[in-house]
Amino acid sequence: MKIKDNDISTSLQQQVKSAINDKKSLCIQGGKSKLFFGNRFDAELLDLSQHTGIISYEPTELCITVRAGTKLSELEALLAENNQILPFEPPHYLFTDKDGTTHNTATIGGAIATGISGPRRAYTGSARDAILGVEIINGDGEIVSFGGQVMKNVAGYDLSRLMVRSQGTLGILLSVSIKLLPKPANDLTLSFDATQDQALAVFQALRVQQLPITASVWYNNTVSLRLSASELILKTSHTRLNTFLNDKFPALSSAKADNKSTSFWQEIRDHTHPFFTLTDKPVWRLSLPPATQSISQIDDAIAQKGDAPEPSQLIEWGGAQRWIHSRTPANIIHNLAQSHGGYASFFYNKGADDETFPALAPELFKIHQQLKRKMDPHGIFNPNKMYQGL
Amino acid sequence: MHLDSNTQNTLLDQLSQIVSSEYLLTTTEALTPYECDGLSAYQRLPVAVVLPDNIEQVQKIVQACSNLKVPIVARGAGTGLSGGALPHEGGIILGLSRFNKILSIDTNNLTAVVQPGVRNLAITEAARPYGLYYAPDPSSQIACSIGGNVAENAGGVHCLKYGLTVQNIQQIKIVTINGTLLTLGSETFDTPGYDLLALMTGSEGMLGIIVEIVVKLLPKPHAVKVLMASFDKVEEAGNAVADIIAEGIIPAGLEMMDKPAIHAAEAFAKANYPLDAAAILLCELDGDEDQLEEQVIVVEKTLKKAKANNIVIATSAEEQAKLWAGRKSAFPAVGRLSPDYYCMDGTIPRKQIAHVLQKISEFSDHHGLLVANVFHAGDGNLHPLILYDANKEGELKTAERFGADILELCVEVGGTITGEHGVGHEKIDQMCVQFSPAELTQFFAVKSAFDPDSLLNPGKAIPTLHRCAELGAMHVHNGELPHPEIPRF
Amino acid sequence: MKTEFSPTFLNTPDGKLANEILRTCVHCGFCNATCPTYQLLGDENDGPRGRIYLIKQVLEDKPVTQATRTHLDRCLTCRNCETTCPSGVEYGKLIDIGRKVVEEKTTRGFKEKMTRKALLSLLPYQKRFTSTIKLGQIFKPLLPKILSKKIPKNIKAGNYPSSTHSRQMIILEGCVQPALSPDINAATARVLDRLGISLIRPKNAGCCGAVNQHLSDEEKALDFVKQNIDAWWEHIQNGAEAIIITASGCGAMVKDYAHLLRDDKDYADKAKKVTELCKDISEVISKEDLTPLQTQQRQTKNISWHPPCTLQHGQKINGVVEKILTDKGYNLLPVNDSHLCCGSAGTYSILQAEISQQLQANKIKHLTKHQPEMIVTGNIGCQTHLQEVSDVPVVHWIHLLDN
Ligand SMILES: Cc1cc2nc3c(=O)[nH]c(=O)nc-3n(C[C@H](O)[C@H](O)[C@@H](O)COP(=O)(O)OP(=O)(O)OC[C@H]3O[C@@H](n4cnc5c(N)ncnc54)[C@H](O)[C@@H]3O)c2cc1C
Ligand SMILES: Cc1cc2nc3c(=O)[nH]c(=O)nc-3n(C[C@H](O)[C@H](O)[C@H](O)COP(=O)(O)OP(=O)(O)OC[C@H]3O[C@@H](n4cnc5c(N)ncnc54)[C@H](O)[C@@H]3O)c2cc1C
Ligand code: SF4
Ligand code: SF4
Repeated sequence: MKIKDNDISTSLQQQVKSAINDKKSLCIQGGKSKLFFGNRFDAELLDLSQHTGIISYEPTELCITVRAGTKLSELEALLAENNQILPFEPPHYLFTDKDGTTHNTATIGGAIATGISGPRRAYTGSARDAILGVEIINGDGEIVSFGGQVMKNVAGYDLSRLMVRSQGTLGILLSVSIKLLPKPANDLTLSFDATQDQALAVFQALRVQQLPITASVWYNNTVSLRLSASELILKTSHTRLNTFLNDKFPALSSAKADNKSTSFWQEIRDHTHPFFTLTDKPVWRLSLPPATQSISQIDDAIAQKGDAPEPSQLIEWGGAQRWIHSRTPANIIHNLAQSHGGYASFFYNKGADDETFPALAPELFKIHQQLKRKMDPHGIFNPNKMYQGL
Repeated sequence: MHLDSNTQNTLLDQLSQIVSSEYLLTTTEALTPYECDGLSAYQRLPVAVVLPDNIEQVQKIVQACSNLKVPIVARGAGTGLSGGALPHEGGIILGLSRFNKILSIDTNNLTAVVQPGVRNLAITEAARPYGLYYAPDPSSQIACSIGGNVAENAGGVHCLKYGLTVQNIQQIKIVTINGTLLTLGSETFDTPGYDLLALMTGSEGMLGIIVEIVVKLLPKPHAVKVLMASFDKVEEAGNAVADIIAEGIIPAGLEMMDKPAIHAAEAFAKANYPLDAAAILLCELDGDEDQLEEQVIVVEKTLKKAKANNIVIATSAEEQAKLWAGRKSAFPAVGRLSPDYYCMDGTIPRKQIAHVLQKISEFSDHHGLLVANVFHAGDGNLHPLILYDANKEGELKTAERFGADILELCVEVGGTITGEHGVGHEKIDQMCVQFSPAELTQFFAVKSAFDPDSLLNPGKAIPTLHRCAELGAMHVHNGELPHPEIPRF
Repeated sequence: MKTEFSPTFLNTPDGKLANEILRTCVHCGFCNATCPTYQLLGDENDGPRGRIYLIKQVLEDKPVTQATRTHLDRCLTCRNCETTCPSGVEYGKLIDIGRKVVEEKTTRGFKEKMTRKALLSLLPYQKRFTSTIKLGQIFKPLLPKILSKKIPKNIKAGNYPSSTHSRQMIILEGCVQPALSPDINAATARVLDRLGISLIRPKNAGCCGAVNQHLSDEEKALDFVKQNIDAWWEHIQNGAEAIIITASGCGAMVKDYAHLLRDDKDYADKAKKVTELCKDISEVISKEDLTPLQTQQRQTKNISWHPPCTLQHGQKINGVVEKILTDKGYNLLPVNDSHLCCGSAGTYSILQAEISQQLQANKIKHLTKHQPEMIVTGNIGCQTHLQEVSDVPVVHWIHLLDN
């Protein structure tokens, strides 16, 4: 995989400096695949998509340093050639043009800035867990680096991890260093039927089993598990899973290998699965303690003329990430998630005034504002994107 | 730097209304045991030591200090190796040793809620009956507190596979400098807003006082094997490390010791380490039985190819514990070789291990001090222990210079001055080498967002630009020294 | 660790030893983790690392007050810290020196002095102690509760075997044990008799000297030590195989004789020999073929074992008693925190009652968690201390072989 080596940091820095001078704010943009995430705001575009290339990559160090505008698809292809992967399996999502065509333009910078992780997250960690270092343009227009390329580094505050999920509100990511994992030799998807309650109970019991699971989904009364290992281990693991189900959940039938696996997990990862694309209802993400029982109060499970109800929940991460179609008012959903020790974010089909994230406790929000003011003293980076007033 | 007597009296008066007299220490006699942490080369006496045992007391103490502008240095178990808990002459030590309760264990979500003074190992011991454990295991785990672990982002022998403290905690409660109690993180996999949990981790007590922690627990691996390989040359052991990773295997632990360290550890742990080897590698593999079987075969083959001359595979839990006991007690066991040691903590890219070890032995000749190397080879985290005698005039200074050379070398080869022990008081000058003025300014900006008057552990971890300028230290960027042609070491 | 002793002190034997010990300490703090008083109190001053620091200050001639003395008094001398210390710091020896110097430099209040004096003039003298205990047993109902709880039930010794074998060993009678539990040594004699070993009970031997040693009265302690060596010497020359101790506290002390008298030109060699021959009863039993002890069906099965500090940390004997009992078919129940002190620690239970009782309560909770039929231990101090609060019998483990 040849990735275009194109360092435009000087011109990006220039743009930041003029923005400071002109007291203009900037809208930082990578591949435009995650524009929906967060609030809309008016600002001058700062385009990172041309800032691409690999700065350093030595597979035995399990680390890659890459410019923020590099496309996820290209980066992953390069890693695959070396039998390695990004541990957090970042969703690409797709950018849809005005004419309706979709583009796989997601960049690594965007993946880190939003900190969204994919199916593997519950098993091999999140974007924030994998980040080792960053190079950024700070609020004064200077290029500074934090962290590094080594696995352990506690010199100075951990500003690399602070950048993850800060959605470009604290600085512009120029390049990131990421911890890698060896790519398992094979994947195997195993499926079996289960109600939501049964599925959650199975997920619960699986947490202390030691199967090489790297993804889990419950949807439409089916549990799908992805296992990743050598051919031989996958075989024994399949048997072990079925013995486990038989012992602990005699009511369930045994798990069968499912051969449409790769595309299925990609659809789940990138939200091209019909659950996400074929609805006009609000789509919520609930982040909950994994053992939380089934939440049925907010389902919009409408029975359609004698048909089975339309599935309105999709559960991932062994119960920790739950997607829900619901027209229930936002405050009720937020309260419900909070009362279970988690939180809700509004993903798709939002109204113009709907915020993505729930309000923070006042004292906590104050610290956010103080931090933002210190890191971005001129208030130029993605103002109001994450929260109004931040 | 000292407090004026008025402020001091007011402070002591207020503190005495918060905790009982037994837990407010003010005499030189009682304060002296607190004059240093695990790095005894630096000592200072605080104005007072306060030992609260509930959050409300902590809030009141912090408020009192904040009103009077008195610095606060938090202290866990005082095992830190960078002088992080070194007192401030004009401030108090806020000791959290009495916060030693495990509040709950959630066997469904695999978490435990613990107080900050709980010993790292005590968590694993409490979780054991449920088949669970807390993964980060610093060598000091028998004694160090989980609060100190969060403040230092402590690592351990199992961090290669299971991550550092930051990857193994979900939520903390902190008391901010104005006495407010904040909850950061949550019991779910992510939280809205900035990742302040990550920012607090490793912040060395400079952004807030940690008063409660939710840690993740993991199921104990079904099977574990520990391989010990001995080598005739240190470099061969170093290269074997990269070879194992290149095979696509991430061992649960991959540790290395050189000859002096082997001898000291053997004297304490009687682990049957080979006393004639130049270096040994300890490699722990875990997982379910089948996966393990596969990995052991690959690792054994790789080690042989890398010229290991003897490989021992410990299968029983007792044999494994013995092998690790030597490694985990290696630092203090070095106390048998020499009255004092100075422990370094640089991290380097794995491929540089052999080169850096060679350089360290040259430095050792140059400074005339012996060095024992013990380290987390899997993640390139070196712990050279420089042996010296504090009673001998000038030896500490030489040891410090030797240490500085090692750390600057680490930065030069693309690594960092501290992998897990923190900057504290000790490595503050080397921060000038690793970071540019703009970067240091950024750190101060973050500090001031939390602690505008700089009362929490002031003077640690981040050097002022002034200090760096005086030192004339050179910032090394991405491993590139300015003027690399000039010989420096 | 850096030390700054005055040259005069550094030239004394104590000074030299203290300096060596202090310099092996690297201040890592591992020892605090297993120190019972640090766990309870959470103050560095009440843990070994802090105590080492306090002692260092005292030996460096820094000002010292009763505060330091209190922290040293609170130390149980359980030596758990020694077991934990990877650097080989001989804390037990250091605290002896520290206590001695602190005792000289500080003055105790009148009441405190009297208590310590009373203990010193009573405990080490078997006859005096026995008659006090006898009186106590008679008047127990009339005594205040805190004291009456400490008077044990009157126990009968049972027969002492009369046969003589060619294999002979000396037994230390001790001071308090004959009064509190005379049956222990009698049972030991019966068990060894069946294994073909006779016990010699030299007349002039007495207290091992530990009470005085640990209450900073080294001079008197050495008198006891020499008296014992004199009493044993003839028998040692006649070929006694070992000096058997059934109280691990005394065993730890006797094993230290060589160290205590290392600079005494008359006694150094003899003391060395004594230390060599000194064996805890478990060390002797574990080396013998126990088939002659096959006995009738036993009723007791599930027991909790409390390893005394003086056995596991002082003498570093671990797993030996456990193995003997398991081999004999007993089921040793799991006990949490078995490395921690029960709070008896010689005279500690009287001098530091509050801490002692907390440790006692914790210990008994752990020991009785799985409902043992009996608690067994290997030191009279622990035995009587635990019996105070235990509903099940607490006995010396040797009784389990004596039936
Ligand atoms: C760590 C340590 C361990 C020791 N181990 C032993 C040992 O194993 N065997 C041994 O013979 N010596 C031992 N000694 C020496 C010990 O100090 C004395 O021999 C004596 O105190 C033993 O008593 P004890 O161990 O039973 O402890 P203690 O608890 O002090 O005394 C034993 C019992 O006698 C009661 N008692 C003591 N004095 C009085 C009194 N004045 N009035 C009423 N009741 C009283 C106590 O309440 C207790 O129930 C040890 C000393 C130390 C410091
Ligand atoms: C022999 C030995 C081996 C070691 N091995 C390792 C190792 O393998 N890996 C490793 O990572 N470290 C190791 N260490 C270093 C040390 O144990 C760790 O840094 C540990 O995390 C410190 O914990 P502590 O409780 O002793 O903290 P302390 O030393 O008391 O404090 C350390 C820092 O944390 C701050 N702090 C403590 N508690 C709080 C709190 N509640 N809130 C806010 N700030 C707080 C203090 O102000 C200070 O800056 C070792 C130390 C020794 C002596
Ligand atoms: S002897 Fe026991 S009580 Fe004393 S310091 Fe050591 S561990 Fe603590
Ligand atoms: S464990 Fe040993 S070396 Fe460490 S502080 Fe305690 S006595 Fe000193």
